[in-house]
Amino acid sequence: MTLLKVENLSVGYKTKKGLLNAVNNISFTLEQGKSLGFVGESGCGKTTIGMTLMGLLPENANILQGDIYFNGSNLAHFNDEKWRNFRGKEISMIFQAAMNAMNPVIRVDEQVMEAIEVHNPDMPRNEIHTKVKKLFNMVEIPENRLKDYPHQYSGGMKQRAIIAMALACNPKLIIADEPTTALDAIVQDQILKEIKEIKKGLNTSIIFISHDIAVVADVCEDICVMYGGQIVEKGKREEVFKYPRHPYTKTLLASYLNLDSDKDIKVPEIQKPPNLITLTGGCNFSASCICKSKNCINHAPEWVNLSPTHQAFCCEETLGKDKND
Amino acid sequence: MIENDNKLTPIIELNGITKEYCAKATFFSKGYTSVMALDNINLAIQKGDIFGLVGQSGSGKTTLGRLLLKLESPTKGIMKFNGKSINDLKGKGLKTYRSKVQMIFQDPYQSLNPHLSIAETILEPLIVNKIGDHNSRKEKAIETLDTVGLTPGKEYYDRYPHQLSGGQRQRVAIARAIVLDPEFIVADEPTSMLDATIAIQLFKLLQQIKEKYNMTFFFITHNLAAAKYLCNKIAVIHNGIIVENGPSDQVIQHPEHPYTKQLIQAQPKLNF
Repeated sequence: MTLLKVENLSVGYKTKKGLLNAVNNISFTLEQGKSLGFVGESGCGKTTIGMTLMGLLPENANILQGDIYFNGSNLAHFNDEKWRNFRGKEISMIFQAAMNAMNPVIRVDEQVMEAIEVHNPDMPRNEIHTKVKKLFNMVEIPENRLKDYPHQYSGGMKQRAIIAMALACNPKLIIADEPTTALDAIVQDQILKEIKEIKKGLNTSIIFISHDIAVVADVCEDICVMYGGQIVEKGKREEVFKYPRHPYTKTLLASYLNLDSDKDIKVPEIQKPPNLITLTGGCNFSASCICKSKNCINHAPEWVNLSPTHQAFCCEETLGKDKND
Repeated sequence: MIENDNKLTPIIELNGITKEYCAKATFFSKGYTSVMALDNINLAIQKGDIFGLVGQSGSGKTTLGRLLLKLESPTKGIMKFNGKSINDLKGKGLKTYRSKVQMIFQDPYQSLNPHLSIAETILEPLIVNKIGDHNSRKEKAIETLDTVGLTPGKEYYDRYPHQLSGGQRQRVAIARAIVLDPEFIVADEPTSMLDATIAIQLFKLLQQIKEKYNMTFFFITHNLAAAKYLCNKIAVIHNGIIVENGPSDQVIQHPEHPYTKQLIQAQPKLNF
């Protein structure tokens, strides 16, 4: 069953210098119980997508075009009232900096309770208590730490509490925006296991946003690679990471260091990120691309089907060139 | 001959360094509790090394970095720089030491003063240490900007930090660190805030600088893969104790301590 369908979505920010196209004509779908990962460098529009899906765009941002279908309703046309009832209940979010995502003067369990109370005003108090205990049990926070304040928690525990909060109303979709970026490798490993278990146990869909390709590859079945507000390649994780076709995906993979990396890996040359205010309407990666066709600068490439599930947003010429490498 | 000398006297030598933080009794808590941040650290860093210190948050990595810069003093133990003790450095001696030892911080968004232009940021260490005159300083600053890959240096000279991207800011921070031609640089997670594509370019830059100026680097990180790529020696620190120390290939391919094995295990991998 298709849970989320985004069609031709563009989001722009009004700035002093003009309209900044943070997200540019993107489309993707997500099935119930599946996970979708967005990777790309900072400023490529990953977080803007997450914020759009949560209805949390700042004042100066607007959905310029496109539709977001979630379970039959079009989120692009929601008003504040509708968002209030929807947010947290159907879609919830795990934010990047767990340190700052909690209120420092309210006990942790009360913050989780608040989320449940808002959406279930008739639920009796003791039932809410049982639910909170169950949630903390699920994320493996011992019961005697429930009444603590956030500052008494370590970074990993705070992130767990945030996950418990996100799960409070049994949402159908969880958006995780760089949930492990502030954590070190060992804690990151634990949190990722946690997220995978939750997804399996509750059949929740997950949108996972990160700049770390290994983390995304660990959690997600489907991958969208983004550059300059555009999705440049999408497909199953094996397809995208084992047989990358778009030149940017290749650069991204080449610059990823793991324990088996050679000492003399080729350092990719990435020029300045594209100026998202003065877009030419072409491929945003064309300035740094190996393809020097002038066409790409002014004409958007077509989606090329590489397999039924694997697509690249690139010109045939470049994709063909790569094959011979 | 010189090579032999260097082998005999490491540039940095730490003998039994211990750092204890005491939390004082406050209105809300009673009694003294002390935190052992570093416990009996023994390390020797040779000239020309890129020495990696790997550990998880709270393991004492940054504390050790701060001790090396003399921003804090050890509770116990002796620190030597080029064979001479630096424990009791004061006044002029400390100033000279600080000009030879520089730091690159983690967060390029916070480590640069937003009120100072790139030129002022890089000139400041030269002015403080009274090196050269107005013109030669400017020349040196532009040359350093070129070295760190902000070319042409003249174009970046009068800009302000907010006009630069994260990667460019970190390059400015590197320029500020190397402008005095220091012998030893402490880099505390210099790329953890940056994207992979930018991080790898900075690693290459650090290697070039090391080769060009024969500087010694102390690289603090929690990313074992980055340490393996950049460093020739790695020490693994856990709860203030160095649990493993050796050439980087050996530490990663044949880890002996269970904590090192756990770290390697937890490292995200790209295989399905």
